[in-house]
Amino acid sequence: MRALYVWLSRLIALAVVLQVLFIAWSAFDIAKNAGDGIPFTEDTEQNIGQALHLYVGMMAMPVLALLFAIVSFFAKVRGGAALAWVTLGLVVLQIALAYASFAAPVVGMLHALNAFAIAAVAGVAGSRATKSGAAPAAPVASGGPGVPAGA
Amino acid sequence: MTPARVLRWGAAALSVAIVGTLGWLWFDSRVPSTYSVMDMGYVDAGGGPVGGHVHGGAGGVSVATLTGPADAEPAVSLTLTARAETITLASGERVAGYTLNHASPGPEIRASVGDLVRVDLVNESVADGVALHWHGVRVPNAEDGVAGVTQDAVPPGGRHTYRFRVPDAGTYWYHSHQVSHEQVRGGLFGMLVVAPAEGPDVVAPVHTYDGRRTVRGGTGERRVEAPAGSAVRVRVVNTDNGPLRLAVGGSPYRLLAVDGHDLHGPTEVTGRGLAVAAGGRADLGIVVPASGGGAVRIDLGAGSSLVLGPPGAAAPAVAAPAATLDLLSYGAPAPVDLSTSPADRSFEMRIGRRPGFLDGRPGLWWTRNGRLFPDVPMYLVRQGDVVRMTISNDSGEVHPMHLHGHVALVLSRDGVPASGSPWWTDSLDVDDGETYVIAFRADNPGIWMDHCHNLPHAADGMVAHLAYEGYTTPYVVGGPARNAPE
Repeated sequence: MRALYVWLSRLIALAVVLQVLFIAWSAFDIAKNAGDGIPFTEDTEQNIGQALHLYVGMMAMPVLALLFAIVSFFAKVRGGAALAWVTLGLVVLQIALAYASFAAPVVGMLHALNAFAIAAVAGVAGSRATKSGAAPAAPVASGGPGVPAGA
Repeated sequence: MTPARVLRWGAAALSVAIVGTLGWLWFDSRVPSTYSVMDMGYVDAGGGPVGGHVHGGAGGVSVATLTGPADAEPAVSLTLTARAETITLASGERVAGYTLNHASPGPEIRASVGDLVRVDLVNESVADGVALHWHGVRVPNAEDGVAGVTQDAVPPGGRHTYRFRVPDAGTYWYHSHQVSHEQVRGGLFGMLVVAPAEGPDVVAPVHTYDGRRTVRGGTGERRVEAPAGSAVRVRVVNTDNGPLRLAVGGSPYRLLAVDGHDLHGPTEVTGRGLAVAAGGRADLGIVVPASGGGAVRIDLGAGSSLVLGPPGAAAPAVAAPAATLDLLSYGAPAPVDLSTSPADRSFEMRIGRRPGFLDGRPGLWWTRNGRLFPDVPMYLVRQGDVVRMTISNDSGEVHPMHLHGHVALVLSRDGVPASGSPWWTDSLDVDDGETYVIAFRADNPGIWMDHCHNLPHAADGMVAHLAYEGYTTPYVVGGPARNAPE
């Protein structure tokens, strides 16, 4: 379970990185097309970057975050459940921010900021699971030298 | 039990509850592959009486019997052959799509008020099947062309005949109502103009092919010759999914008609643009300047414009107008043949958006009265009823609402009564935060779609139906004909 917890945390952080890549692709594609005289309207088919961003954001991310939250109960990571549920909460917030941004595009900056928060919280959770090696009920195997958990 | 065990069991129970709830919501949202719209959602009688046989489709007059005149000689008769093929735009670009008689837009149909129109639709190569809907025309229900509601989709190799009288003069259009969100975008549509209208006119269908906005089938600037000093009626048709914002430069304009219905006392407009709802039409009265040698430019956005004037006349670019013409107060009031107080039925359509599953797909989906497709309202009326409908939108996006088979009068917006010309519409943009009250007479029996004409929205379940008591449809969505109206 702990290994699964770690992998899910990494997948979530990776998905955030992918989302940034996809949306950058999409934005430049729109700009290039506009330069070629093809403006972006309600009747423009979504470009690949957009489609991937939508798919990962609306399907893959929520599923990963939900699994992460559930697995956290059984992974025996100190503070792991709290971090995983915060991750899930931030993913839900992220979707809400995305739809709020269609009405008020400047909110999109919060959407971007929150993306980094998701990656950070998932990353912290993952590193805590790999470094602390401690379960609440198990003896504390003190982490290795160097970076403290959560850094 | 130790606290740790309690926590463990609690966590397990919570996990099961979450997954179980989501699983059940997913399972429950799935739509059967074949269903009748008569069985969908719930009946809303709008405060009127409810007879027997409304839901469930048992009994009642079949809409298949509600055809146009069968024996009279048609005044206008033509065959439209639908094909999936490459379209060459008037401006030369080639795009993959659909044609009628090898053209997109398809042939322009011209008729006079009261004419019987006969159209033989032949499907040569559109794999999903086709059906033709006469947008805005008050046709008998069996001629409405909605696959799965008023007919079966015409498969490749099949044919279907439409016969109907055109009761109102004006600008209309026809388009596929089978897999319409793909087929209309791909070009399966054409214009229908019903005379009389004084003077010369120009049809100006605006359509986006593969991301390129066109007017009269071509991208960029399209020129139509018109002598200096001449008055021209320009019939703008928005065949796209978003609102069309146009601006006129070089002369003022009058808005002569909306959705095929003439406005009363249209005044000259300068410095204001016009928004045309998706599926909607606007007839502009343009007078080419008599002196100065200039032309009139109608800017249609996204690089597309129509220029009217003598050959070679200069038509400077149009500055983006600061404001849009408000139809609620445009023109002069006039009596209407519709007494709306009291109405026999009052319906509500609250458009919203919420997270959920739509046929198993998670997302944020459009709701009507708080409910997701397929739990959509079936508005029940009796022939002769005067119906008021309050449409409010709190969904974050504009929705062009289109009621088939009827034309509705706008009574008010956000509580402000209409003060201009009577404003009849069949495709009404209801913007985020707006509430419109409209009214219509239920005088055309059958089962009618009432949906968002942003066709991908309709495909995402933004549909409802208007049903006349005592009528039912034998057609099903899905089924052997693979009917998919949206």
